[in-house]
Amino acid sequence: MRRMNGRQRTVLAFGAALLFLALITIAGQVFAKEAMATDFSRKNLAPCAAYPFGTDWMGRDMFVRTLTGLSMSIRIGLLAAGVSALLALFLGIVSATMGRAVDSIVTWSIDLVMGIPHILLLILISYACGKGFKGVVIGVSLTHWTSLARLIRGEVLQLKEAPYIKVAGRLGLSPWQIARKHMVPHLFPQFLVGLILLFPHAILHEASITFLGFGLSPEQPAIGVILSESMQYLAMGKWWLALFPGLLLVLTVVLFDVAGESLRKLLDPGSAHV
Amino acid sequence: MKSRKSSLIVALILGISLLAACGSEQEAPAGDVPRQAEGEGQDMAPLGESAGNSVIVAMGPSSEPEAGFDPAYGWGAGEHVHEPLIQSTLTVTNPDLSIGYDLATDMQVSEDGMTWTVTIRDDVSFTDGEPLTAADVAFTYNTVKETSSVNDFTMLKEAVALDDTTVEFHMAQAYSIWPYTMAIVGIVPEHAYGPDYGEHPIGSGRYLMKQWDKGQQIILEANPDYYGEEIQMKQVTIVFMEEDAAFAAAKAGQVDLAYTAAAYSDQAVEGYELLSFETVDNRGFNLPTIPAGTKEDGTAIGNDFTADLQVRRAINLGLDRQEMLENVVNGYGTPAYSVCDKMPWYNPEAEVEYNPKEAEAILDQAGWKMGADGIREKDGLRAAFHLLYPASDSLRQALAADTQNQLGELGIEVTIEGVGWDTAYDRAQAEPLMWGWGAHSPMELYNIYHTLEDGLAGYSPYANESVDHYMDEALAASDLDTSYELWKKAQWDGSTGITQEGDIPWIWLVNIDHLYWAKENLKVAEQKLHPHGHGWSIVNNVDQWTWQ
Repeated sequence: MRRMNGRQRTVLAFGAALLFLALITIAGQVFAKEAMATDFSRKNLAPCAAYPFGTDWMGRDMFVRTLTGLSMSIRIGLLAAGVSALLALFLGIVSATMGRAVDSIVTWSIDLVMGIPHILLLILISYACGKGFKGVVIGVSLTHWTSLARLIRGEVLQLKEAPYIKVAGRLGLSPWQIARKHMVPHLFPQFLVGLILLFPHAILHEASITFLGFGLSPEQPAIGVILSESMQYLAMGKWWLALFPGLLLVLTVVLFDVAGESLRKLLDPGSAHV
Repeated sequence: MKSRKSSLIVALILGISLLAACGSEQEAPAGDVPRQAEGEGQDMAPLGESAGNSVIVAMGPSSEPEAGFDPAYGWGAGEHVHEPLIQSTLTVTNPDLSIGYDLATDMQVSEDGMTWTVTIRDDVSFTDGEPLTAADVAFTYNTVKETSSVNDFTMLKEAVALDDTTVEFHMAQAYSIWPYTMAIVGIVPEHAYGPDYGEHPIGSGRYLMKQWDKGQQIILEANPDYYGEEIQMKQVTIVFMEEDAAFAAAKAGQVDLAYTAAAYSDQAVEGYELLSFETVDNRGFNLPTIPAGTKEDGTAIGNDFTADLQVRRAINLGLDRQEMLENVVNGYGTPAYSVCDKMPWYNPEAEVEYNPKEAEAILDQAGWKMGADGIREKDGLRAAFHLLYPASDSLRQALAADTQNQLGELGIEVTIEGVGWDTAYDRAQAEPLMWGWGAHSPMELYNIYHTLEDGLAGYSPYANESVDHYMDEALAASDLDTSYELWKKAQWDGSTGITQEGDIPWIWLVNIDHLYWAKENLKVAEQKLHPHGHGWSIVNNVDQWTWQ
């Protein structure tokens, strides 16, 4: 069998990671109803053929609950990372092209948001927005844009000195037109990679704030809820409540990372040799 | 090949570092368990080796009195009532919840119920040596009336000491159950009371506070000059731990008695037995009895579905409380039919037999026809409601989930939702909420069912003139026995009330047994029915516990 070259392998890794994540997301949606269902006749079952992840104290099937939880995490991550990345793109470009005053305001707010511990700010925002799905999405969106914004600002500062941008300026295009027509296409690879690498952050933070009780309500199948409930039952020897959901969360996060890194290598082959 | 390996390694390291970064936040609560246990091991010398007359009791962290041992700030007389141990009270509640005497030797009430005259013992001193007189009693009651932030003393106008052993209470309104209030208010010394009293309490009760390490433990020592029965347990140490830590401490043999929950009841701890005490610590949910609308301040009130009396009756009949007990608390509990089961003022007419057929028939008759999706409908309105529960309470969550399943079989769609207490009270005006109640005083009936100024009861919209009237009469009654009968009539008088045949504005599900791991050779004295709150009630009579 012919060995694949590096690029093919990277494409394969990227595809496999995305496929797996898409599967989890879809499966979670399909099982959304079962994940909420309680059946006290099957409570506290250890993992078995019918319930591969066991059941909890209300007889909920932990397998579908974990899948739905992860699917919800991924959807929250998608939404939050999307909003966050767009915010970063906009602020990064504005900061680098709209003059010194705007630049200092944007860099000042980047420093401000980065200066406060992430989780603290997240809890504050989520709580102020009434917790729940909305609170978590707004919280994660408003705290994760900073490093990408800084990165894009740096890129744009560099781009501004490029001959073709200078020429465009001399030809009479406004800064906004230049940004839209000439800079955004150039920034797109960084933006995309940044977006995907935001997912693991967003997902883990969604899990942590829900774990701490400031996110989704406890009957919801969210991975943070599952893990925080399982803590109570560890002392009773119900290890399966924490182990499988925890492992699957790690797997999801790692896969997003693999996908992001692979994409970076595909879009920016030079970085693969660093 | 190299690039692939390095990419994987980068990915792994990134993933792990991400996890590590967030892990520190996630693991904090988990880390509490061993840390707490370690800390206790260091701080408490006698831990794990109780001498013949001392005992170590583990309670939940919320049982630690935040404001100290001051009755004005809830010690004994707060949301969760219990005997104040450090202070004496005028009366006590007996095991059958009738009234007995502690400091009091006699009490009389005037015909109109507006004046209570209580005589007290003359042989009692505070632990600082000063005698306890009627002046201290009057001072205590006037103080709690002025400052109590957790209990209602508006029925009292003024307390006056007539001489050293006689105190007179002038009431603002007749209040026949005053002896139940006198059973929870610890008497403080007028000469030694100040803002820091809570942290340095002086009383005349069975114990003195020797040491209080906030967030960890409280050590009580027997009062050598106590006037009552001899104190068997000379030293009582209370440690505060989460449920899982308390379980771990019992497993390690570090505590003599540890509170626990039904979820742990299938475990076994060597050298310990599982004690289970009956309670009036009930759980139930309210059903708003008026159609949906909005209050003046814009909050929603009322519920179109539960406003239908037949719906409320069907729900009450259609819930299998015994199955719920098995499912949710492994059988450690009793079915509840009222907020005051087994109390002297309980009306047994409240009891109903589980009858799903009858429940379905009631719904059919009332016009709630089964729809195609298995949910009933009437005039376009779905038979559905939100059932709220406090998000931090897994037991109430399980009760809500079981209610959801059982009512689903009747064709009623229940959606459960965890809420914080910051919004729960307001939302309960329009949506059923899973509550926990149960007190050693009939006043709870009044608080739940009696109307306020706006014409509706406070916790869930409901009004019935006849029920109001009986409770007003009960409070105005001149003796307790008469008042008990009137409280019973308020629940059901033969034609109206709050039971199945009446308006049934609240559904009561179960009374939760209070469970404890106790060392096998520890003899815990007979308990009276515990009220709501899995805390200090267990040590009400710790002075009479013994080792065998």
